[in-house]
Amino acid sequence: MTVRLLFGAVVLVIFFAAPHFLAEFQLFQVCLIAATALVVLGIVVVTGIAGQISLAQAAFVGLGGYGPAILAARYGVPVWAGIMITAVVVGAVGYALGQLTLRVSGHYLALATMAFTAIVQLAFIHSDAVTGGAVGMQMPTLEISGKTFASGGTLYYVVLPVVGVLFLAVHNLIHSPVGRAFAAIRQSETAAAAMGIDVLAHKSAAFAASGFLGAIGGGLLGLLSTYLDPSQFGITQAVYYLAVAVVGGMQSPLGAIVGSAVFVLVPEFLQAFQTYLGLVFALLLLVFIVLRPNGLVSLASDLLRIVGGKQQRGAA
Amino acid sequence: MTSALLTIQNLTVRFGGLVALDDVSLDIAPRSIQAVIGPNGAGKSTLINVATGIYGATSGRVDYDGARIDGRAPHAISRLGIARTFQNTELFGEMSALENVMIGADRHMCGSYLSSAMHGPAYWRTEQAIRAEARRLLELVGLGNDTDVEAAALPFGKQRRLEIARALATRPRLLLLDEPAAGLRSAEIDELNSILLDLRANLGLTILVIDHVMALVMAISDHITVLNFGRKIAEGSPQEVRSSPEVIKAYLGEKAAHASHS
Amino acid sequence: MLAQVLVSSITAGAVYALIALGFVLIHKGTGVVHFGYGDQVTFGAYLVLIGQAFIGLRFDVAVAGALVASVLLGAIIYLAFMWPLRNASLLARIIASLALGTVLREFLRSYMGPNAWPFPFLLSSTSVPVGGVLIVPANLAIVGVAIAVLVALYLIFDRTIYGKAILAACENSTGASLVGVHVSTVFLLIWILASVLATVAGILVAPLLTLSPDMGLIGIKGFTAAVLGGFNSLPGAVAGGIALGILEALAGTYVSSALKDMISYAILIAVILVRPQGLFGELTLKKV
Ligand SMILES: Nc1ncnc2c1ncn2[C@@H]1O[C@H](COP(=O)(O)OP(=O)(O)O)[C@@H](O)[C@H]1O
Ligand SMILES: [Mg+2]
Repeated sequence: MTVRLLFGAVVLVIFFAAPHFLAEFQLFQVCLIAATALVVLGIVVVTGIAGQISLAQAAFVGLGGYGPAILAARYGVPVWAGIMITAVVVGAVGYALGQLTLRVSGHYLALATMAFTAIVQLAFIHSDAVTGGAVGMQMPTLEISGKTFASGGTLYYVVLPVVGVLFLAVHNLIHSPVGRAFAAIRQSETAAAAMGIDVLAHKSAAFAASGFLGAIGGGLLGLLSTYLDPSQFGITQAVYYLAVAVVGGMQSPLGAIVGSAVFVLVPEFLQAFQTYLGLVFALLLLVFIVLRPNGLVSLASDLLRIVGGKQQRGAA
Repeated sequence: MTSALLTIQNLTVRFGGLVALDDVSLDIAPRSIQAVIGPNGAGKSTLINVATGIYGATSGRVDYDGARIDGRAPHAISRLGIARTFQNTELFGEMSALENVMIGADRHMCGSYLSSAMHGPAYWRTEQAIRAEARRLLELVGLGNDTDVEAAALPFGKQRRLEIARALATRPRLLLLDEPAAGLRSAEIDELNSILLDLRANLGLTILVIDHVMALVMAISDHITVLNFGRKIAEGSPQEVRSSPEVIKAYLGEKAAHASHS
Repeated sequence: MLAQVLVSSITAGAVYALIALGFVLIHKGTGVVHFGYGDQVTFGAYLVLIGQAFIGLRFDVAVAGALVASVLLGAIIYLAFMWPLRNASLLARIIASLALGTVLREFLRSYMGPNAWPFPFLLSSTSVPVGGVLIVPANLAIVGVAIAVLVALYLIFDRTIYGKAILAACENSTGASLVGVHVSTVFLLIWILASVLATVAGILVAPLLTLSPDMGLIGIKGFTAAVLGGFNSLPGAVAGGIALGILEALAGTYVSSALKDMISYAILIAVILVRPQGLFGELTLKKV
């Protein structure tokens, strides 16, 4: 317990100290990492922990951005409320998608979620009147009780707390009976059901969580980029989020953060090689899935085990 | 026998053209240890799979504790108090032995999603209780020293016992064991027998054991049913079954059956 | 009108059939659904383009070169990735095949640019009226080549020992060793054959669509065709391809052109939901 309090205190200190040491642009990047990590956290839950491959995350992100933008443009709903409403709705969509797993798994699930993303993207592109069609639409600025949050420096105080709280909640869930049930389903559905676990309900819940997290992440990414471009919410992007999860480590929330940091920061270091960026990411994904399917996090924990001589279990 | 805990009536199961079970009926009395034996492919696993909701019945029915259960979802049947092990072990391989058993216990103690997400004091209390329960069950099956070992890394005999501990964690009244003795050495089989006898004596469990050889189950079964090619060919006490010519024929072929007659 | 739609749709259908055939071959034979297959189709077309426009080869030489290169590509994919991953989880294999496709696509984007390239037709692309229906010689050629490939495949499967081994592997993987051929050799052959098939399909579709790194999305059409055909049957894949071509053309003509894009995704989801075993497949139950 005291360890947790200490950890919390350190995190708070870093949170409030960072803006004094980082430039505006760096704060923006921190926000970008955090929002991406939230999107990828959805994949960690549904694919990494519960074992259900999903290529729907890009669609969830797109819906999470378009939802509040459309609600604001048409009905004047404040953006923060729009993001929350949309996330709940997208969570429900995720739940419905999860019901697909009653009938399909493995390859077919990958195909079905892929088709879902493709259809959602086509809907964005073809609903010109509502979404601006292929051109896309503006994401409104976040305003909360008269204060506007438009820059990296101000969004920092919104994005990080939101992402932090959600990460904490997911971390807790994973280390609870719910998370154990997810992991059980991944390892043997038959045995999980024989243990009294309602497999379909849990899979649907995992999809709902990934939808909710993806939508909030999508809303935050929209606030950061200020523009919604439908080409950003297709199958390619779904694979991109999967790649972030694989490279970071799909089986833990930490992996989502590590992966996002890599994928956001690498372009900074490779600025001279912009044209090869996509290739670099694709190669990263390929190399990791073949050689290190559990990502950088597993690399780190293996190193720790070698250095420490013994693996630490259950340390929270 | 209206007092049976599990009643299987005229059960037939087909896979395409193959008849895995053909009009099989079976009663399992409360607090008994019963066995189903038969050569490979006789339909023994299919029997358990129908009773636990993994396969559907083509015709016939299965009743448990007065209610029809065939065709219900596996998790629903588990919640009624039927637990099982698997012939080729279906453990959660990446989890520790302790976590495997905790999964079985979770349903009886877990709180809401909210308390799981918040990790409040109530959560920690139940988590401790689940852990303690899992540890106790592991000790019961003799795995007290293996709690932190990854399930996939356990030797085969221990994996089988872990499956039993995990099944017990769901707090069943009826335990269905699919070839628990396969691949065990004879000392291990004796150990297993005494665990099963203890379970009946201490927890009042009803147990159905499947085996393809006669040796193990003879020692502890009250009643034995013999299947061959999906049909019931004999049943009765171990003594009766052992001397049944049908059974000898099924196991040793025609010649042996004639030999035992003459 | 209807006759016109049907005639035009055969072209697309024939190409979908080829792609679906590649999927099914790989899936049935090696147990992998190759999510990067569409990108291999694109890559094959680019190989011809590179040979012709950058190395200055004649079109037919460039095609021959591309086919040889795709043999190599298939071998590399199997030996470097699928063989090491043969015991990995299904999830890892799915992601690896997605990654392979992404690598090919991003390679093209990096080195060939993101924009579309013109690609030569095999025959004239101006239509000629035949009995009241407009027929495009280039499209006829596509159908012709597709049929020739199907016949060649049939002969390979029917007449050669390796072809029989591949079919045996598609039935079950121990079957191949019964025929007397090493399973890993058969797997290698399947990957090579599928890779060549992808290149042929790429050369055929490239003139119809615009050749850009994103042409690989056509892969989804191949998936849909394969799923429609049961994902497990080679003749089913061909039937599924033709059926999808026709359905797409009908939806595009009689409903709306936006629907033409969506229809194959919708069919994909619908078939998966209603008959996950496909139109011609059978459902199996996991044995425990
Ligand atoms: N899921 C299944 N699909 C098709 N056939 C099956 C399935 N499960 C069992 N069978 C067949 O049913 C018969 C009985 O199998 P099983 O119950 O496993 O026998 P046992 O457990 O007595 O060895 C066998 O011929 C087996 O091949
Ligand atoms: Mg069996």
